[in-house]
Amino acid sequence: MEIHNELILIKNIIQGMQKAKKIVQIYPKNNPVYIKTLKDLSDQFNEFFQHSNLLQLHIAKNDILYDSESVYHDPEKHDNLALLFFKDGLRELTFKKGLTCKETEDFIKIIALDFERDIVEEDIVILFWEKDFDNIQYVVENSFLSEADDFEKEALNELQQEASGPDTLKEVYDEIFSEEDDDEKQEVILDITDKDLRLLLEELNNYALDKTEKYFNMLFELLSEAGKDHDYQDIINYFMAAISFSVKNGNLGAVTDVQEKLKQMIDDERTDEEIRKCAAKLLSFTGGYSIIELIGNMLNSGQEIEEKAFKRFFSLLEKDAILPFIKILGELKAMQARRLVIEALVYLGQKDISSIYSKLNDSKWYVVRNIVYILRKIGDIKTVPYLLKPLGHEDIRVRKEVIGTLGKLGGDKAVAALLECLKDPDMQVRKAALSALGNTGSAAAKKIIMEQISGRPFKEKSFDEKKLYFEALSRWKDEDVYAFLVKILAKKSFFITSKDYDNKACAAYGLGLIGRKEAVPLLNEYREISNKLLRNLHMLRFRG
Amino acid sequence: MAYSMDIENAGKAVEIINQLAIFLRTARIHNISNSAVIAATDKFVDLVNELIDLEHTIVIEIRGEYLYFNANRIRYCPEHLLNLDYLIREFKKIEIGTIIIHSKISPEHIRIFIELFLKSDQSEAPFEYMRKGMSGIFCIELKKIQDISEDNFDRKKIARKTYFNAVSSYKDMFQKVRSDEKINLKKAKRIITSVIGQIIEQEQILLGITTIKDYDEYTYYHSANVSILSVALGRRMGMNHKMLIDLGMVSLFHDLGKIKIPYEVLNKPAKLSESEWSIVKNHPKWGVKSILKMRSLDPLTMNAALVAFEHHMNIDHSGYPQIKHRGELDLFSRIVSIADQYDAMISKRVYTKYPMSPDKALRELMEKSGDKLDSLILKFFVNMVGLYPIGTLVVLNSRELGLVYENNQEALHRPRIMIISDNNGNWISGPVVDLKEKNGNSGYLRTIIKTMHPKQYNINLAEYFL
Repeated sequence: MEIHNELILIKNIIQGMQKAKKIVQIYPKNNPVYIKTLKDLSDQFNEFFQHSNLLQLHIAKNDILYDSESVYHDPEKHDNLALLFFKDGLRELTFKKGLTCKETEDFIKIIALDFERDIVEEDIVILFWEKDFDNIQYVVENSFLSEADDFEKEALNELQQEASGPDTLKEVYDEIFSEEDDDEKQEVILDITDKDLRLLLEELNNYALDKTEKYFNMLFELLSEAGKDHDYQDIINYFMAAISFSVKNGNLGAVTDVQEKLKQMIDDERTDEEIRKCAAKLLSFTGGYSIIELIGNMLNSGQEIEEKAFKRFFSLLEKDAILPFIKILGELKAMQARRLVIEALVYLGQKDISSIYSKLNDSKWYVVRNIVYILRKIGDIKTVPYLLKPLGHEDIRVRKEVIGTLGKLGGDKAVAALLECLKDPDMQVRKAALSALGNTGSAAAKKIIMEQISGRPFKEKSFDEKKLYFEALSRWKDEDVYAFLVKILAKKSFFITSKDYDNKACAAYGLGLIGRKEAVPLLNEYREISNKLLRNLHMLRFRG
Repeated sequence: MAYSMDIENAGKAVEIINQLAIFLRTARIHNISNSAVIAATDKFVDLVNELIDLEHTIVIEIRGEYLYFNANRIRYCPEHLLNLDYLIREFKKIEIGTIIIHSKISPEHIRIFIELFLKSDQSEAPFEYMRKGMSGIFCIELKKIQDISEDNFDRKKIARKTYFNAVSSYKDMFQKVRSDEKINLKKAKRIITSVIGQIIEQEQILLGITTIKDYDEYTYYHSANVSILSVALGRRMGMNHKMLIDLGMVSLFHDLGKIKIPYEVLNKPAKLSESEWSIVKNHPKWGVKSILKMRSLDPLTMNAALVAFEHHMNIDHSGYPQIKHRGELDLFSRIVSIADQYDAMISKRVYTKYPMSPDKALRELMEKSGDKLDSLILKFFVNMVGLYPIGTLVVLNSRELGLVYENNQEALHRPRIMIISDNNGNWISGPVVDLKEKNGNSGYLRTIIKTMHPKQYNINLAEYFL
């Protein structure tokens, strides 16, 4: 290939590197732009390798050279690819034919790192080294490591002062050879066998496993000995850092193991009092704001969380975890994440329901709704008075949640509150209240519904709303309700209006919902009646 | 020559190397006409011929402690460890440096190769014997292993620089930790990579440098030595680069807790009292604290803290600190424990007249194998340093004194020796002789009859190893 064309290809490759570096910084791995950019770069390399086996680049401060020709020049400090390599000591970079897409990607991912940030403890050379590329080689200049020149000189001087060999070796020579070596010569088998290699492989595979458990075990040992040095606070800090680290890395299993051990320590009366205090402090830390917020971040980031481990985690927490969990509830985006946190709060709320009540006045409507739902799941009837305030919440979704909860909790106070809701101007509220009254299953609720149906104003309600009343009533499948419905259906009158037909139709509907066989003949009587609506309705229920 | 291979061909390269080792090993055990040998040979021929179509030439070469296939280094991983070691050992024994396959080969070519290989043992000049035997087979070319003595001086210089960089850097870090200053781990990691690079290129030279024990600042040199020995051992065990860097870093910090031991206790030129000893036994715990104070928690910090905590425990937990819940010691802790004990035993200490000679230290370690030290790791360690580690002063049956200069992997009890006194007791400098050398009667020219410690005769190892 002509040198001119070759240089163009190389310049394209370097431009491709720069572009890929930026793209990798911006886009996630599965983004089409990310994929395409890296593929383009790989194609550029491959095009070059059709004509040559090696691409050897020399790195200067502001230039990248190929065969003494500059193929990249940038005098600026910012975003200077040559400088990026140069400052870490890279002086030559060679790409070999056979360079894989994976290697190209790994290479770009390394150069795309933000090396200015403190958290990157490695430089480019270390990261290249760790990757141990097959087809990327480099030459490094390590002079900046050689601040030790003086140290080396001093050490060598020190060594030279040591005399070597006695002048009188000849005098002791015979003695050397006459002395027996009193050490027993032992036969040792040192051949490395296949079995040894199998064991070694196991060891190396195990190495990849997380060391967190071992690390925590070490901390527990330090804690058990902490009294001697009065260094409880240090050990507590180490634990806290390790717990945070584990949560950040999604290792809730390790944290729950720690929680269990801490609980055992607290419960064991033989444990030293100071250590028990430390254990209690740490257990409380696992449910504190910082840890729960980390869990929130994890859930929000879409990182997978093992449900079983999460359940174990919150089951080991104390009531002080309630408020931190409620805090993240307001920040979570995904439904699944909210579900998990709600589950935790349902469990923890049973330990201290008043902490849950305290958040019924949260400014976010959805938090209030979630809190109400949590209270419903906890199912404590004492909750009812606390629900009266959110029953008047400005957001209908909250009100409906409260109504549903009142229905679930039941009791006279709940029924009374629901009766009031039946007067609400919003149909959705009334509908929810009816359903809730039905759900209470209480005699008082039944009585209220029957009184409402029998009352004069009932006639004026819409057919749909009437139907809801009968639907709610049909939850009680007892004799009272049956007789009540039969009576309405069988009621005769000289002046039957369409509103009367509404009631009859709804009663038939209710009977259908109750599903008693003895109602069949009565329902059949109305099969042929003229009111189409009634007929349709009762046929519908009958079939059901 | 092809410079590089794609992934598929790289896989075939490893297969070819393995197969080469398999048929040579099988042929050593069975007769050459044995079906297992024939099958292994045939497979090798098929693999080579398949690849030669694509690569045109196959070059198998030894560089340092590595095998290269068409200029690509074959990765040192446990699956291939046994066969790679075997080939390197056997080729070095015969002094084969390179095998070049120029075109397709036949089973007959390989049969001749095997026959020559098996008989080369009996020859005074095994490589020449093999080359002569193969001279009619044009598709296979053999080249002798390169003599590295010419650039040995430069290599030593580079290794020495790497070594002192490591010690100096550790000293710097140690002092910064002591004064609560921030330390530069990037630099430490770079130094570890250069140490690993040296170990890969010239393991024996660097190991030789670690045997020099005449420095006053024991702690710094000891920590650097333990790091070098641990990394060298890790490499022998087939660890990847990432693991080696981690191992190098954590082993460097294993004794950081000694910062808190009072100087007069640490350097007491006599036996420690019980209370002093109990102070010393705290250093693993103090090490953990120093490490955790030094940097925020990440996997490397965890590893370093664990190693600092466990390196004196022993695998049966008979050491210190004593713990309540005994689990298996971490792999790195078990490695560092061996390197630490070995280096400490052979080091000059204020409370001993002479340090232990390396071979005696090794023997003592082997007595602890299985109880206190991990037997598998120790086996790799002994294979690395040899039964007579570098720097051991040996007395030969030829009435010469010598220093162990380099190990013979294929015969651990017959290392290469630098002769330092002739049979009349006159100091001489060199030559380096191979204890595998035989005399005309099939006996060995020289054999070790006993070992002594160089300090006993004021022999300054630095003169020979730096």
